[in-house]
Amino acid sequence: MTNAVLPLDSYRLAQYAVQVPCYICEQGNAFDAELCRHCQAPMALARQVHMQKILPQMIATVGSSGVGKTVYLGMLLDMLSRMPDQIQIVARGAFSVTLQQNVMQSLARCEFPAKTPNEPDRWNWVHCQVRHPKVKDPFELIMPDVAGEALLEEVEHPFSYLAIRSFLMKCGGAMILVDTTCLDSGKRAQDYFTLKLLTYLSELDNDEKTSWQNRPVALVFSKADQCEDCFDDPQIYAQRHTAALWQFCRERFRRHKFFAAGVAGGTAMRTAPGVGRVRAPLRIEPRGIIEPFTWIVGQVMAKSQQPTGWTIKRQK
Amino acid sequence: MFNRLRQILPPWHKDRRSEASNETLPADCSVDPALGDALDDDFTAESPPADGVKSLVDQMLAHHRCALLLRPQIAQNLTPELYAEAKQALNESMGLVPTGNVYLEPSVFDADYRAFASENSDRPHEFTVVVQSVYLDRYLVTNRQFQKFVNAGGYEEMAIWDEEIWPAVLDFTDQTEQPGPRFWKNGRYRSGEANLPVVGISWYEAVAYARWVGKRLPTEAEWVKAGSWPITLSPQTHLQRKYPWGDTFDRGKANIWGSKPARIVAVEEFSEGASVGGLYQLIGNVWEWTATTLETDPQPEEAVQGYETLLKTIRGGAFDTYFEHQANCHFSSGENPIFRKHNIGFRCALSICDIAVRPDEPLADAAQHVEALPDEILPNELANHTADQVIEEMPT
Repeated sequence: MTNAVLPLDSYRLAQYAVQVPCYICEQGNAFDAELCRHCQAPMALARQVHMQKILPQMIATVGSSGVGKTVYLGMLLDMLSRMPDQIQIVARGAFSVTLQQNVMQSLARCEFPAKTPNEPDRWNWVHCQVRHPKVKDPFELIMPDVAGEALLEEVEHPFSYLAIRSFLMKCGGAMILVDTTCLDSGKRAQDYFTLKLLTYLSELDNDEKTSWQNRPVALVFSKADQCEDCFDDPQIYAQRHTAALWQFCRERFRRHKFFAAGVAGGTAMRTAPGVGRVRAPLRIEPRGIIEPFTWIVGQVMAKSQQPTGWTIKRQK
Repeated sequence: MFNRLRQILPPWHKDRRSEASNETLPADCSVDPALGDALDDDFTAESPPADGVKSLVDQMLAHHRCALLLRPQIAQNLTPELYAEAKQALNESMGLVPTGNVYLEPSVFDADYRAFASENSDRPHEFTVVVQSVYLDRYLVTNRQFQKFVNAGGYEEMAIWDEEIWPAVLDFTDQTEQPGPRFWKNGRYRSGEANLPVVGISWYEAVAYARWVGKRLPTEAEWVKAGSWPITLSPQTHLQRKYPWGDTFDRGKANIWGSKPARIVAVEEFSEGASVGGLYQLIGNVWEWTATTLETDPQPEEAVQGYETLLKTIRGGAFDTYFEHQANCHFSSGENPIFRKHNIGFRCALSICDIAVRPDEPLADAAQHVEALPDEILPNELANHTADQVIEEMPT
């Protein structure tokens, strides 16, 4: 006969009775859910918000598949975590460091990181604390690494990815990446995709005060190391190479700016063991990575200290 | 300039492209044919003033062209004083890299890398090459030095440019469409940047400048040897540094990302990071073009079209190089030779067999004999010998 005391789990029933809202889609979930059962975003974000009693800002980094979103985000996080005299980023939770770690390890081996899977539960939802020299208090920020193909699917067929839609509804601003090498080679696919994305954003929210017309949008020409002209003046480059995009932004987005960014100093083909011939970075020399982020954070913070598009009350 | 240079050339130089004249040159040495064409094209038969040689030598030294003066066919016509002056200028501006073996780690883009990474990783001697004695510039070529090349009409002197690049030379202009590096204006470097390394130049511009001053670009092996300063203690023991100052990275000794300036600095800064041979900024500040080709796998589109762009190797890292391991003596990257990047410069090299050696010179100037020395003579003992003494000691 054992003297062990069996725990009384009835309090768990009470916890299950209270739905915990997902921080991204605001749909109810069980208190111990790992992922939101509606949008597959990690519930860790909601728990962190609950513990810290602060609603994080959200900034989107979006663009077509292969445009360099993962590399850009990973590089940005790594650079800002190493620069004490500028904007500083401090990761919240181990899963927020994963993106940074994966990207840096790949680049150090002269490889680009693997393609981001389409499933939201496999994205890296970076949650970090940002210290801005012009802002008194540090603020929380969420920046997921969204898969380009999933984004395209959602843009083409709205509501196919609830996580993306909900996230973009709430974002304070967006950094939209455009592949410079494609533009340079005369391919218009980038132009069209970015136009679709901007159209999608502009139709997400019809409220005159909170619509995307008033939210900051940074258009970042990625892989600009392949095109030095782009660094000279991104605005003029946009006007000459993506006239439709440039015109659309002028008409629909009051706060937008063009940037150029590059991570690899150059690329070449290499034969990697077990992978075959792949394009790989010849060396890593980041350029223009921090500028778009600094601008957009400044814009977001200047507009409001409160996150955009929220229906739930700020938790005190 | 070329007319005046011709005044001190020996008579045989007029026909030096003939077989007979080539026999006059030292073994395995040759005068750059492109440079020779430039000399021939501008040659006129007018006789020089007697005191013109001194002023010409002074002018050439001011233009950092001492290597030309020390070419065997020119040097033998200089007075001992002028020769000594040219030699001093050479020793001040260039450091000697002695003959020896150097271990070259293949680039991950190189076809050899697969063998290196898998089968031959335990046989590093297969990646060891012999480097002959060579002089390398102590400093990167500066804007001020390159300005002299531009002012002297270097971009119009087609003989010093590779023929395949002639159509593109007209496109090598600055921001005001004047011939010159990409970031210059009105054919001049920006104020306050005289001592900064020249950047925004293609590989071909670097080669043309090197030819103009009588030098060439270093090979990858020469560059690595200058930086890592290898020592072969025995056939099985080969010591080679990772950085010019040792095996541990130090941000105070090289200008890369995270070092304080966060921009290109003057060529004489970061002196603590100089190599054993007295070469500055081999690591950091700007990448350096080398003469070596990086043979990568062909691009997909190129494979279809049947051509490929051969990259030229660059070494050393730059002020914006992010990873420390990409700014050491072993890492090599590549770049399209026609690209004019903001962070790629160069330094020149000069084979020791390309310059005249007089019997009364110190040993360092007769380093071509080093490889023939008996094994028991260690390099540090050699400094006390003169060339004559060493030659006498050499086995017959």
